[in-house]
Amino acid sequence: MSASLRARLGRVAIAAGLVASTILPAAGAVRAADPVVLRVGTTQDLDSTNPWQTYLVVGYEVFQLTYNLLTEFDKDAKPAPGFAESWDRAPDKVTFHIRQGMKWSDGQTADSADVCYTWGLAMAAIKDDTNVGAGYLDPNIKDAGVTKVECPDANTFIAYTTDQSDRIYQVYVPILPKHIFGKDDYKKIADEKFNAPLVGTGPYILKEWKTGQFTRFVRNPNYWGTQGLADEVEIHFYKTSDTMVQALKANELDYAHGVNPDQFNQLKTDPAYGTTVGKANGWTQLAFNTYGTGTGKTIKGGGPSTTALKDTAFRDALGYAVDKKTLVDRVLGGYGDVGTTNVPPVLKDWHVEPDKPRTFDIEKAKSLLDAAGYKLDANGKRLDKDNKPIKLRLDMPDSDENYPKAAQFIKEWYGQLGIDVTTQVMTSAALGTLILPPPDAQAKYDIELWGWAGNPDPNALLQIFRCDAIGGTSDSQYCNKDFDALYDEQLKESGDTRKATLAKIQNLIYDEAPYDILFYDSNLDVWRTDKFAGWQNMPSDGTPMFTYGTLDYTLLTDAKAQPSAAPSAAPGAASGEPSAAASSAPSTTGGNTSSSGTNTILIVVVALLVVLAIAAVLLMNRRRTGRIEEE
Amino acid sequence: MSGRYLGRKFTQALVTIVAIVILMFLMFRLMPGSPDRALGRNPNLTPEVIAAARARWGLDKPLIPDQLVAYITSTATGDLGYSIFYRGQPVTDVVGQSVGPTVLLVGLGEIVAIVIGLLIGAYAGWRRGGVVDRIGNGASLVLYSMPYFVIGMPLIIIFAAGLHWFPTSGMISPAAESGPFSGYLIDLGRHLVLPLTAVSLGLLGAYSILMRAAIIETRAEDYVTTARAKGLTESRILRAHAFPNALLPMVTLIAINLGYVIAGAITAEIVFNWPGLGTLTIEALNARDYPVLQGIFLLVAVSVVLANFMADIVYGFLDPRVRV
Repeated sequence: MSASLRARLGRVAIAAGLVASTILPAAGAVRAADPVVLRVGTTQDLDSTNPWQTYLVVGYEVFQLTYNLLTEFDKDAKPAPGFAESWDRAPDKVTFHIRQGMKWSDGQTADSADVCYTWGLAMAAIKDDTNVGAGYLDPNIKDAGVTKVECPDANTFIAYTTDQSDRIYQVYVPILPKHIFGKDDYKKIADEKFNAPLVGTGPYILKEWKTGQFTRFVRNPNYWGTQGLADEVEIHFYKTSDTMVQALKANELDYAHGVNPDQFNQLKTDPAYGTTVGKANGWTQLAFNTYGTGTGKTIKGGGPSTTALKDTAFRDALGYAVDKKTLVDRVLGGYGDVGTTNVPPVLKDWHVEPDKPRTFDIEKAKSLLDAAGYKLDANGKRLDKDNKPIKLRLDMPDSDENYPKAAQFIKEWYGQLGIDVTTQVMTSAALGTLILPPPDAQAKYDIELWGWAGNPDPNALLQIFRCDAIGGTSDSQYCNKDFDALYDEQLKESGDTRKATLAKIQNLIYDEAPYDILFYDSNLDVWRTDKFAGWQNMPSDGTPMFTYGTLDYTLLTDAKAQPSAAPSAAPGAASGEPSAAASSAPSTTGGNTSSSGTNTILIVVVALLVVLAIAAVLLMNRRRTGRIEEE
Repeated sequence: MSGRYLGRKFTQALVTIVAIVILMFLMFRLMPGSPDRALGRNPNLTPEVIAAARARWGLDKPLIPDQLVAYITSTATGDLGYSIFYRGQPVTDVVGQSVGPTVLLVGLGEIVAIVIGLLIGAYAGWRRGGVVDRIGNGASLVLYSMPYFVIGMPLIIIFAAGLHWFPTSGMISPAAESGPFSGYLIDLGRHLVLPLTAVSLGLLGAYSILMRAAIIETRAEDYVTTARAKGLTESRILRAHAFPNALLPMVTLIAINLGYVIAGAITAEIVFNWPGLGTLTIEALNARDYPVLQGIFLLVAVSVVLANFMADIVYGFLDPRVRV
């Protein structure tokens, strides 16, 4: 190397050092005046800040931080004061008393006119027999049986309904500021951009949205409830949970929503993190294509590949061939519950276990199939009643890594019955179209492996089995007039009467088996314990965040203010839930986690060894070829 | 360079772009699945809402000619429509936001990779069998065959999660976003280091391997022997004679790669949560966001065609034989 080159390299090195010195030390340097920021991560990307347009959980989190519902949820997910401070129930109406002196974040008065405006949007859409925007929010009001709303004075809002259920208090419709959106009707509001900064009555107001990166919220000084410790809240969007977990470890996040079981297992033994297994309000199912059941209709060139799928006895027998415990253990890493009926157990008031549960028993499944007339041929393949070998097509979306894993088990178990299964993974868009009957598509599938997530009320997860859901949300093409009648009946009932009807419904669907619900999923959430304390699961079997309401955002306390001498009993943390972290003690290391450090070193050493090995092989190879070339 | 040569190349580029526009429209619609079925699984959704959504997005009209004609006329006027996933945002905005981050990351990555790759390749080829050749070529081969996420994940684990030198992911901290410009630049720089390293390392191998081969070839050329006979130093022969001549085949590779700068480095962007076109492409694909996909592919196609057009012109200057 020439002297001049060396000098040049030296200059480059100095320049690089200068750049590095400006870039590097900024890490972790916190000035006294810096705001306290709560940083939350999720693997969903926000689709819209317009509450009427979002389809995603993260979208709900964003609008629930900014706006209030008429009635919110307390930590047990029961109705709690929100935009309305209290309410009285009469046989034909509910009178809500709106908070006195409440202000929007821009200082304007918030009163019943805002409620009448917002609920009025949904009422107008219901009257026109359509929905507002994406159609997620307004059905809440329809389901509550609201026929009319009125605002006799600034602090009173009356909703007329004879429905005595709790649905009127579970309406996920954020109250919007009339002085900002008042000119919009229900069609126009769906097109509104809801550009940040927004104006709300919630604890934290959306200040900024960087598409695909993060949203930033600032404290609402006019918030009527307890002011949270955090001055700002950020929700960051990640493409993979790997990156999200690394960000949590590097102290760039305080909370990570939806990690995978491996990551969860690694973090749960580390005292620097709190963890929880939150029960999800939803399930993963096998939906059998029963097209034609009850109606006798067929689709030319489409529909199920065998008539056996329309036979309850056949579907019932298949139910004995699925070992759900194994699925929970092997697919979900143990974090989930065995699936039974179509009202998830998380809806404690309504869920029942089936009267005649099926237990895993391959031999029983075989004998039931034999008894139902599905015999084996000479090659050991199961024949349907047209004497055709039954070959089932199982299709699933690519949106969840657990689906293909579960499908492999199903394939194996059905195979033992002499039923071949071919599996196919496709995008949600493709599968969502494939399962549609004419005129949209040919419903050309046998089994769909997918899942659903529901509302605080079971209605949403029931209506997918209605006859009129075929062509819409139905993915089993199931039609049963008895079910429809029971559905309508429970809609009018409440309390124990409704529970009795819902028990009939759950048993009916379980026995008829258009679905085989494999498991109820769970949300695995992890948080750091060195900055914030007081994390609580809401409800007690849920998660602190991305749940009903946003109460936890305002209940967090300063972890550093806690006595660090009592590591095993951090007061106020995770409230001793069995599913929550064993210890939520504040970490004294303040960012550097020792046990994850050991892992890092291990990984680095292994990686270095691999690279060295490859380099050595290549080097030897080169020497040999070099020698050959020289010869 | 003759005007005819230039004109012919220009026409070729233009025809290619028009063909791409039409093909793209048809291709995306051949994919199974429709956006109105991709938008989440809403158990409350009524057929009326689905129909209204289809009408809103123009999916209720026949594909040919209605949708095609509407697409071509609006594309010609620069209107790329509205995103389906990011409901209501114009495609030009959605795509526009992602172009900057990608050009910054992959563009810089290309430049770093080109400079370092060519230098290593040239030196390795010149001193074939030497230490630089053995280590450089071995490393190039390893890096060339490694996807970005394999390079990226260890970088994150060591330098971000382990040593806390750099942030793990993203492009900018929310706090820096609203702070002073100097703070913004420093924050951006800190976020850029790891993804830039991953992208540069990933790209470097191809340049170094090709350059090494080209130099080895030129080393045997007569003019190199002549230069040596004239008594020039080895380093001067390399710099003044071998290197410029070996650069010729590089032009094509560089031009094509520069065209793909826009396409981004999808896996690198995803690992580092970089808000570029690569991540946007994946998101738009999953949501069957036709307008955004079309916008991205149009941009990529045009930039690749333009880069090739530029390569043709540069080649015309460098090598008189092609100007026929």
